[in-house]
Amino acid sequence: MKRQRLLANTFLFIFLLMFIVLPFVPLVLSSFSYNWKWPNVLPEIFSLSAWKYVLFDNSGTWQAIGTSLLIAFIVTAINIILAVPAANALVRYPLKGRWLFEAIIFAPIVIPAFVAVLGIHLTFLRFGLTETIFGVVLAHLSPTLPYVVRAAMTSYNTLSIDWEDQARMLGAGPLSRFYHVVLPHLLPGIAAGASLSILISLSQYLITFIIGSGQVMTLPILLFPFISGGDPAIASAYSLVFAGMAVAALLILDLALKRYYKKKQAAASKGVRE
Amino acid sequence: MLRKIKPYLLLFPAAATIVLLFFGGLFDGFLKSLGYFPAIGETGFSLKAYSSLFHSDAFWDSLIVTIRIAAISSVLSAFLGAIVAVVVFMMHEKSRSGALNLWNRLFQLPLTIPHLVGGYVIVLLFMQSGFLSKILAKVGVIEQIPDFPVLVNDSFGWGIILAYTWKEAPFVALMVYPVLERIHRKWRDVSRVYGAGNWDFIREIVVPAILPAWTVAAFIVFVFTFSAFEVPYLLGVTYPSMLPVYSYQLYSSGTLADRPEALAVNLILALLTVLLGLIAYYFSKRWNVLKGWE
Repeated sequence: MKRQRLLANTFLFIFLLMFIVLPFVPLVLSSFSYNWKWPNVLPEIFSLSAWKYVLFDNSGTWQAIGTSLLIAFIVTAINIILAVPAANALVRYPLKGRWLFEAIIFAPIVIPAFVAVLGIHLTFLRFGLTETIFGVVLAHLSPTLPYVVRAAMTSYNTLSIDWEDQARMLGAGPLSRFYHVVLPHLLPGIAAGASLSILISLSQYLITFIIGSGQVMTLPILLFPFISGGDPAIASAYSLVFAGMAVAALLILDLALKRYYKKKQAAASKGVRE
Repeated sequence: MLRKIKPYLLLFPAAATIVLLFFGGLFDGFLKSLGYFPAIGETGFSLKAYSSLFHSDAFWDSLIVTIRIAAISSVLSAFLGAIVAVVVFMMHEKSRSGALNLWNRLFQLPLTIPHLVGGYVIVLLFMQSGFLSKILAKVGVIEQIPDFPVLVNDSFGWGIILAYTWKEAPFVALMVYPVLERIHRKWRDVSRVYGAGNWDFIREIVVPAILPAWTVAAFIVFVFTFSAFEVPYLLGVTYPSMLPVYSYQLYSSGTLADRPEALAVNLILALLTVLLGLIAYYFSKRWNVLKGWE
């Protein structure tokens, strides 16, 4: 009986592992291959040349990573500044026409961003916003902002007004109330929203391509010609860099948040001891 | 006075941003789809773009392909996602160790991967000379490259379907899993007392419990695959293409005359997604998907 269960568990384990990990195997193998011929299951020659090209020979790679991250962080910073007050209003105030505001703010979740971007393209062209990082930032705002508002709303939902009142009674002004009471409570939600915002911004291809007109080189723009019929080894290496960039950005955010809480906790316990 | 307008002031920046950049874009596109385009001297309104669309086979073919691919991908990813979630749930119940939290993280991996990379993963796996074809040849099932079916850049759209199924199944699993977690451990024990096996438990308790969240998750996948661009652009064929790709082809074909048609396709696409979105919203509210039960 016990052995049977163990067997079943192992079987399930392998099934899940295959589903998640197997698809990455050819990607990794291909990135280290040179002229991988059918029907060899493993590449006949392992080579670092694709990685060498991607990481060292093509200076465009690092520039593209930089541009991608720069755009993602600017977009996310703007989103947070816009989303926190909006979430505050939506959760904690009586509002007339709340449904209208919610419909406006959450519409870009449903309607794909490129519809609006193709529509506004020629207007952007006239204002000289195409081919600029600023223009691309503007284009990335609407598909990302709703998620940040959503996440901030979740945090506001569990924040009691009493805590702020208490701080007010202890003599805290609006700024220090926000900084010491509201912000620490909102941070996990903001971080979750920011992760989504960064992720969505990093993986945009079409709207960056339309507004950037091929001049704003983010990583997806750089990578596309390779994956649609270029050298598979280089395409694979670029794909891994691209996926790695997204995962790394999220991990760093996660770590930063954990560190913040550790510091906070340490400070709190120190305060108690004194 | 200030107290009364304060929430509107707080909302203003975010709402204005969306109105300006998003609805402005939709409206701008709408005007141009009607042929109103002062910059090139066109100031009349006409429904020419819409009528020529409705009379073109390309548009209808594209709409049919879009619905077919979105429907198959959402059904497949819903089944796969539900199976994965239930399997993890049952394993979790048995082992009760925190190590299985790792699964939660692993699931998010296909979700975190950008769609272009997800698409390329499918190319490497399923193209005629791809990884699976190589394995089958080594094992001796196929002898030549053409023996492997065309699954990437095929006119049916299998490549797109495979990519979405793989990418969206974890999303369905993540939507369903929280519902499963609320199934009390006691229920499992009670069902055991009454002699229910694993399979009975799944059929009588787990499936009815997850049904609402599951349906809504599948629907969200449908709406998303209906309107996403990257994967069909990479894995599809030029004709018939999915609606977003069709619109982009029209837009970038070079002639200004095609642009109103491209924007008309976009507007139709937007209307359809809004409609589908409203249906999803209605059912998720009605079935209380996000709140659950007590």
